[in-house]
Amino acid sequence: MIKLLRIDDRLVHGQVALTWTPALGADCLVVANDRVAKDDFLKMTMNLAKPASAKLLIKSLTDAVTFITDERAKNLKIFILVDCIQDAAKLADELPELQSINFGGIRAKEGSRPISKAVSVNDADIASIRELLLKGINLEIRQVPTDKILLVEDTL
Amino acid sequence: METTTYVLLTLIAMFGHSEDFLGTTLLSRPLVLGPLVGLVLGDLQQGVVIGATLELIFMGNIKVGAAIPPDVITGGVLGTAFAIISGKGAAVALALAVPISILAEMIISGLFIFRPVLNKKFARYADDGDYKKVERLHILSGLLKPLLMGAVTLLALLLGSDAIRTFVETIPPWVHAGLGVAGNMLPALGFALLMNLMFNKTVAPYFFLGFILTSYLKLPMIAIGGLGVIIALIVTGMMHKEAPAVSDSDFDDFDDFDDEETAVLTPPAISVLTKKDIRSLFIRSMALEANFNFETWQNTGFAFSIIPVLKKLYKTRESMSKALKRHLQFFNTAPHGSTLIIGISAAMEEQNSREPDFDPESINSVKLGLMGPLAGVFDSFFWGTVKVIAAGVGTSLALNGNLLGPVLFLLIFNIPHLWLRYKLAFIGYEAGTRFLQELSKSNVMDKLKSGSSILGLTVVGAMPALLMSIKTPLKIGSSDAAVPVQGILDQIVPNILPLALTFLVYYFVRKNIKTTYLLIGLLLLGFVGSVLGLFN
Repeated sequence: MIKLLRIDDRLVHGQVALTWTPALGADCLVVANDRVAKDDFLKMTMNLAKPASAKLLIKSLTDAVTFITDERAKNLKIFILVDCIQDAAKLADELPELQSINFGGIRAKEGSRPISKAVSVNDADIASIRELLLKGINLEIRQVPTDKILLVEDTL
Repeated sequence: METTTYVLLTLIAMFGHSEDFLGTTLLSRPLVLGPLVGLVLGDLQQGVVIGATLELIFMGNIKVGAAIPPDVITGGVLGTAFAIISGKGAAVALALAVPISILAEMIISGLFIFRPVLNKKFARYADDGDYKKVERLHILSGLLKPLLMGAVTLLALLLGSDAIRTFVETIPPWVHAGLGVAGNMLPALGFALLMNLMFNKTVAPYFFLGFILTSYLKLPMIAIGGLGVIIALIVTGMMHKEAPAVSDSDFDDFDDFDDEETAVLTPPAISVLTKKDIRSLFIRSMALEANFNFETWQNTGFAFSIIPVLKKLYKTRESMSKALKRHLQFFNTAPHGSTLIIGISAAMEEQNSREPDFDPESINSVKLGLMGPLAGVFDSFFWGTVKVIAAGVGTSLALNGNLLGPVLFLLIFNIPHLWLRYKLAFIGYEAGTRFLQELSKSNVMDKLKSGSSILGLTVVGAMPALLMSIKTPLKIGSSDAAVPVQGILDQIVPNILPLALTFLVYYFVRKNIKTTYLLIGLLLLGFVGSVLGLFN
């Protein structure tokens, strides 16, 4: 089952390995990212960072969906990481069990504005956010599990 | 208090806030600043004890990524100062430090929100290839934090002293007693937050091992740390070295690694960069976080660190401008291991300056690819293990007023930290990303990770028994024949109350109850328990 889907453009890093994975009790980290899935170098570095208590799988978006929807994955506590809102939206389309998405870190880019300390969004992002909200998915901003929960809709 | 005292206390707060220039070396922790405040106020020992008490309460507060914890520097300095002046001890320090540090954190967050305004200036200097101005602005912006927070501290002292003194003097004895009990309970929150990072079924026994070693065998924290290291080495089989160390002959194994990054990362044949240059990468990396901000994070710190190398490699304004722009892009990693990425980048910059067909974009893709994962590695190791042991040993000594506490705290953390940080600059430059490939092929990382979680948890397990004191004055029966409950508890499981409280808080942390609520809850429990005579 899915414990959490997190949008974080650094994917696996300190907050993920040190705070989220133990807090969720996750035993399987799935990095769903088409670019990283093809990049052996990035795959290697992420494997170095993975917490000792969990398996790390790095898959393309399509493969990630296949894996997560597999019957055998029901017994795993899965923690999914994507690096942008668009990828999260694609997964949300395929994974109906997804109720909530965590916004961890999205760095500033051309035309974006900050909606919290670590999250910046542009117009395309906001459009995706509105679609996700229409589907009734709960969107929350938290860098680490002990942060105060901030709802994305309250920041727009 | 005289004006000189105010100024000296302000200087201590400013020193603490300069840590972003001093490489996250824990100089700003209450355990270190407490004794300094004590020294200024003529009671070093009180400073050591209060510093240790605050260190325990704020133990779970660590800076991971961009999550900013309460400002223990301002809160700690002011709280310790008023506690010593009023002569009412650690309970008063805690009552002041907690609210002040939460307020002060908001001011610091404000600074981190303001700093991106400077990014336009940085971009303009980069356009001009003017590295000197980049360096200068990085330092100036870095100075804003100690100056701003120094001003806040001084103002608080000048305007608030009388009010706070009156307030502290009117605290009735029962409130003071309640605060004392609550202060003894608050470390449970810190321990629970640490457990939340490390505790799981596989390593749970080591927590209880630590508890039994202190609670029954009365071993001091240094012994627990030593035993923890030995057990971790045995369990992970770390001493049986299967993977060979990195040496030149091993690199042949990488011929079958056909991804591009490896291909471009051959070590420089003729090196322009000297040992001194690489050393300066290490020294400058200490100021990595000086201009930390909420838009581009440590970007100017990275540029500041690598400028000595750029200066040597790029002699034209144009090439320097391109390099500066490259390194002013978003960057954020764990400062302790940052030199590895800086060293790798230096090697790639050198190659770029020599080979016309080198793709400079690959420098940033390596930087951005490495910063997250390496932050995962180093945050876990330094915050999850090394800091825990340093604080465990340091506070256990300092609670008895021993000045060795803060000294060992700094040494235990910084000897491995600075040694590794220095080494990694050279490893990064000389071996580049092949070092990481070697590491990922061997199982050293896995051993290190499970070994450090065993060690960390053994030490955390010892903490409730060694660093918390909760006792009950309750008696069973009446008059002369009454049997003290504490006596019975001590015969079965000594320190069962601190252990039980830690687990209770841990349970609520797992249930995602907010830290602030838990803090208030513990304060209330301490108060009510003290008033009803349940605990003392």
